[in-house]
Amino acid sequence: MLAQRKTGFLNRLYLIEIIQGLLITIRNFFFHKKVTLKFPEERREYSSRFRGQHYIKAVNEIENCTACMLCPTVCPAECIHIEAGEREDKEKYPVKFEIDVLRCCFCGMCEEACPKDAIKLSNIYEMSQEHRSVYSKDFLMEQRGNKS
Amino acid sequence: MPKCTIDGKEVEFTAGENLIKVAARAGVEIPVFCYHPGLSVVAQCRMCYVEVEKMPKLQTACSTMAGEGMVVKTNSENVIKGRAGTMEFLLLNHPLDCPICDKSGECDLQNNSFGYGNATMRHSEERRTFVDVDMGPVIEKNMNRCIHCTRCIRFGDEIAGIHEMVAVQRGNNIDITTIDGKQLQTEYAGNYSDICPTGSLTLKDFRFRKRAWMLKKTASVCEGCSKGCNIEVQHEGNVVYRCVPIENQQINKFWMCDEGRFNYRYTQDPTRVLEPMKRDAGELIKASWDSAMESFRAEISASKVSFLVGTDLTLEEMATIKEFAGLSKITVEHFGTQGVESTAQDGPQDTILKMKSKTSNLNGAEKLGIPAYSGKSSTDTVIVFRGGRAVLPAIKAKKVIGVGVFLAADTAGLSLVLPGFSFTEKDGTVINHMGIEQKLRRAVLPGGRCKAFSEVLMLAMNKKALAGAVS
Repeated sequence: MLAQRKTGFLNRLYLIEIIQGLLITIRNFFFHKKVTLKFPEERREYSSRFRGQHYIKAVNEIENCTACMLCPTVCPAECIHIEAGEREDKEKYPVKFEIDVLRCCFCGMCEEACPKDAIKLSNIYEMSQEHRSVYSKDFLMEQRGNKS
Repeated sequence: MPKCTIDGKEVEFTAGENLIKVAARAGVEIPVFCYHPGLSVVAQCRMCYVEVEKMPKLQTACSTMAGEGMVVKTNSENVIKGRAGTMEFLLLNHPLDCPICDKSGECDLQNNSFGYGNATMRHSEERRTFVDVDMGPVIEKNMNRCIHCTRCIRFGDEIAGIHEMVAVQRGNNIDITTIDGKQLQTEYAGNYSDICPTGSLTLKDFRFRKRAWMLKKTASVCEGCSKGCNIEVQHEGNVVYRCVPIENQQINKFWMCDEGRFNYRYTQDPTRVLEPMKRDAGELIKASWDSAMESFRAEISASKVSFLVGTDLTLEEMATIKEFAGLSKITVEHFGTQGVESTAQDGPQDTILKMKSKTSNLNGAEKLGIPAYSGKSSTDTVIVFRGGRAVLPAIKAKKVIGVGVFLAADTAGLSLVLPGFSFTEKDGTVINHMGIEQKLRRAVLPGGRCKAFSEVLMLAMNKKALAGAVS
């Protein structure tokens, strides 16, 4: 059986505690800096190392990627699908480069494994969509959020 | 037996064995590039340095024969330094192509560089570059990646029996190429890619299709001819990407021919029949298994039937078909290669590997007592069981039904086609021309709505339609 705590009448009213609690609320509400933002008018500054939406880095509109398949190999979510091909100005390039972004866990291992500095994660974090989204190569090539 | 000591371990050897083989038996791995157990020894790459006591300098293990009481060290400071120096020399001109190169993942140069080389490079001069010649339909050449191990030259000379690759110029300008820049002539060209320790000679067929480390490997047997070469079917995601030979000293040693290497292609041919097809007004039309089996049953019970089994079937399939035929007194004959009807007519097609019989199991069909197709027995309906490689003979019958693997081009005379499994899609046993039993292993699952022969025959029996058969 639980021991009943013996308390006095004033304590049992909880009036003091209620007033103390209210004082904390009032202090935080009126006199403290707010932690929330008025999104989307205001936006939070993230660290430059934040891992957001993917892009394939391109120089002079030629993708850095050579379809070496290290990113699909290292990807723990298995969300990258690449098909390699050959064209005149590039010995090997990705004909198809797809990222199933719903499977992606944004671990950044692909970026780390890439020997060509091709796949990158940008600072963009607004990625909600109404349909199941698979990023195609054209989408990834748009240099959205290119940091450099 | 004489004994020598390798890294402190005593190993027995037979006279004339080189240190690489003896060391391998002691569990010591010596890195190599130019040495290949199936080729002659040239000691060109200088990678297999070992230290032998009482010898003043480092020795190449491939060209040093083991001797009685020899004390060999493969891990001394000198050896490690020597190997690292060799690696540095080999990598002077090697481009950093690994993300592009098809060899990466199974590359000796990558492995040995990682295992024995230095992580840094002192070389800062420009690397040499070459313009590559076209090597024909099988091999893609990239001379920039070459380390001049001359394995390819020796393979042509010693195994393929054709001197077509040469080293022209020397020193930094050395170029390994074909004589006069001609295309490769040999029918064993795929092996050039297998033995090349770098990505200098790669398969055009496999170019950029998959990375080597992603492939799953299933050991199987080639069904290209009655030789029964041991192969590894390399596949991923239910697609076969290539077949490579695996070592079997009794049969194919380390090699295989291009015909066998690219034989897997028909199993993924877009025109392969993967659904039951019925001929209706001259056209083959997709049908359900139920309706196809209905007509199969009707045919088999109503008219006079004979079975024709391809010699590309496995022993198990042939035995099942023969048992089924025995129950309902149907004659069974085999067909395979035109002009080769028995093992007596079979023989080597060239001096290397190829056999005249272009199917894998002619010997097995004979062992089961199935006679060759004579064309004499006149039946209304002939049911052809084919594994995909046997060549259909001219059949004189009112109706021909095909069960097994057929491409659209093979279905011209067939009134009903029931799709079956190809050699990469089934387990089974085949007997080669020497009488050696070998196992096929399933590498991929059959596409479409294929069924095994045993299942087709079971379905045929289930409705008790077959007179004389067990119900």
